[in-house]
Amino acid sequence: MIRIAAVGDVHVDADVVGRYRPALEQLSDVADVLLVAGDLTRHGTVAEAGSFATEFGGLEVPVVVVLGNHDHQSDQQAEVAGVLADAGITVLEGTSVVLDLHGHRLGVAGVKGFGGGFAGACASAFGEREMKSFVGTTEQAADKLGAALRTTECDALVALTHYAPVPETLAGEPLEIYPFLGSYLLGQAIDSAPTALALHGHAHHGSERGRTAGGVPVRNVAHPVIRQAYNVYQLLSQDVEAGLVGV
Amino acid sequence: MNSLPDDYLEAAIQRLLTEDGTVAEQGITIHSRELVLVLGGEVESARRRDEICRQITAHFPDLEITCDIGITRAQAPGEVEEIS
Repeated sequence: MIRIAAVGDVHVDADVVGRYRPALEQLSDVADVLLVAGDLTRHGTVAEAGSFATEFGGLEVPVVVVLGNHDHQSDQQAEVAGVLADAGITVLEGTSVVLDLHGHRLGVAGVKGFGGGFAGACASAFGEREMKSFVGTTEQAADKLGAALRTTECDALVALTHYAPVPETLAGEPLEIYPFLGSYLLGQAIDSAPTALALHGHAHHGSERGRTAGGVPVRNVAHPVIRQAYNVYQLLSQDVEAGLVGV
Repeated sequence: MNSLPDDYLEAAIQRLLTEDGTVAEQGITIHSRELVLVLGGEVESARRRDEICRQITAHFPDLEITCDIGITRAQAPGEVEEIS
């Protein structure tokens, strides 16, 4: 059994430090790892990254994250990632990590991702240079995610993104902004490997549950969607740990 | 500036809340109810909610606003979902 705690869009700054900590101190009782689906900070500054590390670092379980669009706002994403790494937090960007959890190997492949929309209403790399750059950014992210997923050897494989891979978990958001919330290319990458679960954030007004065209369960764990410090998902098990109620 | 048509006013407020260096919130909803602008959505702290209202009032002093913005709860979960 592997239990995965997940949340996204926590937007930590100094004013948030201490809000999550009581729940995080209990996390090792109910989960083996914490995945955070981007937008760790408000403006992507080094100081905010320090606040995130203070709040989400030093746990008894591994913490694995991808960055989100907010974490790029100050063009300091490399420094932000450095602060997190120094705090023992694994930052994925087109890469993967394998964690040995109670004898099971959990593989997590992550990328921030980008927009572009979904089948029937998606952008194409055509025309202006800016449009080609927009779609090309998503293509590169999806290619890196797919390669990371396909080359990760493990017992259970999870995809972690900030942007959404399917439209179902955007339900509740205005249709007009779907192309800025995710891309089918991420879903296609997820479906190119034996992925057990895909986690994303970014869509604060979206819905929690969806599934890729290939059948992979997708969960939008944006904090305003799950409305608690983190959700817990269980893989590779017949049992539910005492203290938690199965749903 | 608050003589803007409603569509332009909402866009101006949304851009203010997103692009302003002190707020950076993209999840705030704005609805007109008669002559009052109702703000909705959730943020991570009371300080952020108060700053949103302060920024709007500072930029659009003649606007009457009602703040229904909540603070997202951060309690530990009581359930686990088995993925299959």
